Amino acid sequence: MKVTINDVSMDFAPGTSVIDAVFAAGYDVPYFCSQEYMSPIGACRMCLARVGAPRKDREGNWILDEETGEPKIFYFPNMMATCTTQVMEGMVVDTLSDDVKRVQNGMVEFTLINHPLDCPVCDKGGACELQDRAYEYGTGESRFVFDKRHQEKHHPLSEVITLDRERCIHCKRCVRYFEEVPGDGVLDFIERGGHTYIGTLEDGLPSNFTGNITDICPVGALLDTTSRFRGRNWEYDHTRSTGMDDAGGSAIVIDARTGRIERIKGALNPEVNKTWIDDGTRFGHEYVDADDRLRSPLVRKDGELVPATWEEAAQVVRDRLGGLSGKDIGIALRADATLEEGVAAKALAEALGTGQLDHAPRPAASVVPQQAPATLTDLATADAIFVVGDVTEEVPIADLRIKDALKGVTPPEMMAHGVPIADLRLKEHPVFHRERLSVAAPYRVDLMKHAGRTASYPAGGEAALFAALQAIAEAQDAKAEDAEAAAVQLDDGQRAALGMSLADAEALVRGLREADNAVVVIGGFVLATRAAAAAAATFAKAVGAKQLILGPMANSYGLELLHVGPSHDRYAYPGMLEGARALILSNLDPAQDPDVRATLEQKDFLVVHDLFLTETAKIADVVLPARSVYERDGTTVNLEGRFLPLQAAPVDAGESEDFVGVVGALGDALGQRLEGRSVRSARRVLRKRFELDPAELGPSGELYRPKGRPAPRVSIRSDEAVGGNVLVTPSMLRVEYLERNPHLLALSGGSRLRVNPADAAQHGLGDGEAVSLRVGGVVRRARVRLDAGVPAGLMLLPTLPEQPVGLAHADLATLTRDERELEVAG
Amino acid sequence: MSVLDIAKGMGVTLGHLFKRPVTVQYPEQRATVQPRFRGRHHLLRHPDTGLEKCIGCSLCAAACPAYAIYVEADENDPENPTSAGERYAKIYEINMLRCIFCGFCEEACPTGAIVLGHEFELADFRYQDFVYAKPDMLVGTKGSKWQRREAEKKGKDVRLGFEAGPRPELEGVDY
Ligand code: SF4
Ligand code: SF4
Ligand code: SF4
Ligand code: FES
Repeated sequence: MKVTINDVSMDFAPGTSVIDAVFAAGYDVPYFCSQEYMSPIGACRMCLARVGAPRKDREGNWILDEETGEPKIFYFPNMMATCTTQVMEGMVVDTLSDDVKRVQNGMVEFTLINHPLDCPVCDKGGACELQDRAYEYGTGESRFVFDKRHQEKHHPLSEVITLDRERCIHCKRCVRYFEEVPGDGVLDFIERGGHTYIGTLEDGLPSNFTGNITDICPVGALLDTTSRFRGRNWEYDHTRSTGMDDAGGSAIVIDARTGRIERIKGALNPEVNKTWIDDGTRFGHEYVDADDRLRSPLVRKDGELVPATWEEAAQVVRDRLGGLSGKDIGIALRADATLEEGVAAKALAEALGTGQLDHAPRPAASVVPQQAPATLTDLATADAIFVVGDVTEEVPIADLRIKDALKGVTPPEMMAHGVPIADLRLKEHPVFHRERLSVAAPYRVDLMKHAGRTASYPAGGEAALFAALQAIAEAQDAKAEDAEAAAVQLDDGQRAALGMSLADAEALVRGLREADNAVVVIGGFVLATRAAAAAAATFAKAVGAKQLILGPMANSYGLELLHVGPSHDRYAYPGMLEGARALILSNLDPAQDPDVRATLEQKDFLVVHDLFLTETAKIADVVLPARSVYERDGTTVNLEGRFLPLQAAPVDAGESEDFVGVVGALGDALGQRLEGRSVRSARRVLRKRFELDPAELGPSGELYRPKGRPAPRVSIRSDEAVGGNVLVTPSMLRVEYLERNPHLLALSGGSRLRVNPADAAQHGLGDGEAVSLRVGGVVRRARVRLDAGVPAGLMLLPTLPEQPVGLAHADLATLTRDERELEVAG
Repeated sequence: MSVLDIAKGMGVTLGHLFKRPVTVQYPEQRATVQPRFRGRHHLLRHPDTGLEKCIGCSLCAAACPAYAIYVEADENDPENPTSAGERYAKIYEINMLRCIFCGFCEEACPTGAIVLGHEFELADFRYQDFVYAKPDMLVGTKGSKWQRREAEKKGKDVRLGFEAGPRPELEGVDY
């Protein structure tokens, strides 16, 4: 459709909003309430412009202007809100005339009537849409001599979000966000007119994606409490990077000031997270600036760890490893290491001549599927989704993309100015098509409230679940070929394994099979055994669905793709803790298990590369200070196989180095130029290996699809025994750092042991009690939380890197009330 | 050059020999500074409540062409506030070696908290002694860091080497 904006004529697709046409033509209109990826509602009236269009007469001919002979433009009698107006053929838009300026002026003045003059003390100051628009479109003078509205200031909406009700301009972005994006609907307007304010019904904000409202609030009404008064917007160094708290690979901006990370914000990656990030990613950064962060290498001298230089530490490592044969040395990285660190680790293992190399946690089954995995866009456009696991906790962004699929609006086309500001296909109060989503998990998970079908199968029964579904699929096949074939027959065991009624299961299988674009989302519980993962793959293939595998950590996919793994399953991470005589561990803390600690104490030599003096670091011979995930340059691969760039934020972390730096220093001490001694040299290896250039990745990253099937990997353990009384669950919050994240700690109440009320009564546990317990050997401290959604006889505990998702045995005899009360701030 | 020219020059000299000298015997004698003279900064308080005027907004730091100011803010304890309002400056530092005494900070301040005074005797020995923190600039503090150190050593009051009536902007400052 041809539209003329001031003096520019352009073609637009039908359904485009006028505001997007104006921006695409290179002009500007002020606006407050429209927001990318949310419904336009015309609440703020700031985007007014003069709009007109030609009309047709009864015969269908354009009504012509008598003087010029051109189609006559009929202007709307009033200025139109461009965000809620669609383009029409021949439309004329005027954003520059004095009339338009006058109304825009008036709207700014009207919006400012009740807005306090807080700019000097407001954390939004300098990045505030109202400040900017008032400067660009306002009169610069106030005529308002009356008292302004007074409402509550700095009201804590939750432990991490502060609301200033005086500053709110009632754009409704925050309310719409909760309704439309996570679908939680936890905020609303209360009262009317000038008295309107934002509030919640319950205490706090029961949602996992609350922080995004602080990004989208156009003024300083909703603010991130972790960065409250920490700096002004122009003082921050903004670093765009990738969130490394889960396998989603969300784009983030790290705001740092004078060497400290002050806040994390969401950034745009249309293919991955759009602009949204979860609360774990946003607020879980405070540990980086903890006081007890290691800042220089430590070397054990006369039984004591004493500070040393990198050269000294590297010399010690060289001397002590020199006496060992290569195959006695084990090297392990945590699975959120970058690809560059993976290259460095491989080069080091090769130089030392050891096959004992691994990353952890690494589930029993592969996270790289044999067929190309579904992309997040596939997930967002799927018409049938079957989730097994707790996707909200494992890869929160996948949860939001599933909700996109339930809304049934395809991702918008990019325009000249980026993402459309007002996508008119999105409607307020959207309908979530629940029937498209089925969720199965051993306990009640958050996503179940949006699912049309839910199943609670017995924990550890993932293989049986998929086998039963497979049986249904096969019976349906037989039926399709031969109408006489017997109906689906399942024995009692299979029915129990389904965790839902047979009719539901049949409908689920049929739904997946009939869908044009079906996705099976496979969580950590399935990956815990190879049998289950294989059954899941077979089932997905049988119903023609794509698989999306939720790896346990940010770069699980990439490190597996790169084969940062052992040469034999005996040499995998658990094996090397037993068998190797010397170990180099990066960001891993296995000594939380006292038995493992005893083994490690017997080792000839132990090098730990970590942020803090962990249990393992305390018994190490050499401790090297590590860079946090925010301080590394590198590349990561998310769960869809997308290569994404990491950029180091300017954080003062002493002499910390990433594993690339460790290998560089050790290589110098060994007198070898190892591949991966620097990010650049590691990237040369990656370029050859993957035929893409990690240094040239665009902001959306690059989807990598290997030619041919991925090479088989060496699996982690051969015994597949499942069972236990504790289910280790995925966690959006990184439990290993929770105690150093005061705001998240206050928000979450600490690491939680979720227990069924009946079981709790039996063990004499009360809600909120601090306990410690050995689970699978690891000593865990947690706070008891009574939860009727937990099956009887099972307790739920969030995962640690050393405690992978799945069933584990807890020795209930070790259950003690924790004398050292867990510190909960706030 | 003629003899006459030399005599003319000597005449000027001779004339001045009998005039009152303009030299001030600083530091024994105090210098006079002009009212608009810009010297060391003062951080002011509200005279009625005694609360600090500074709200830690960093606008002075943003305006400073020499990057001489560093501000770190924090939230006021409502029971025992430092400044009026929600926010106060926890750390407020000016590096007097970087400062060019342009007065832009004073101009930028929305609360009139930072005002350039008349003190100019800022010489000192070590770099870090030129970084003035809040206690060095809050009203009531007289003299530069070095002057205060000397005065303490000698057990005397700080003696400023100038005299001037403070400007009205210098609310509460007494020289
Ligand atoms: S709090 Fe912010 S986002 Fe919410 S309605 Fe008010 S101004 Fe808009
Ligand atoms: S007087 Fe000028 S140079 Fe000195 S601190 Fe103020 S703004 Fe900076
Ligand atoms: S002195 Fe003034 S401008 Fe500087 S931080 Fe304080 S209130 Fe803001
Ligand atoms: S009315 Fe708010 S953007 Fe159009």
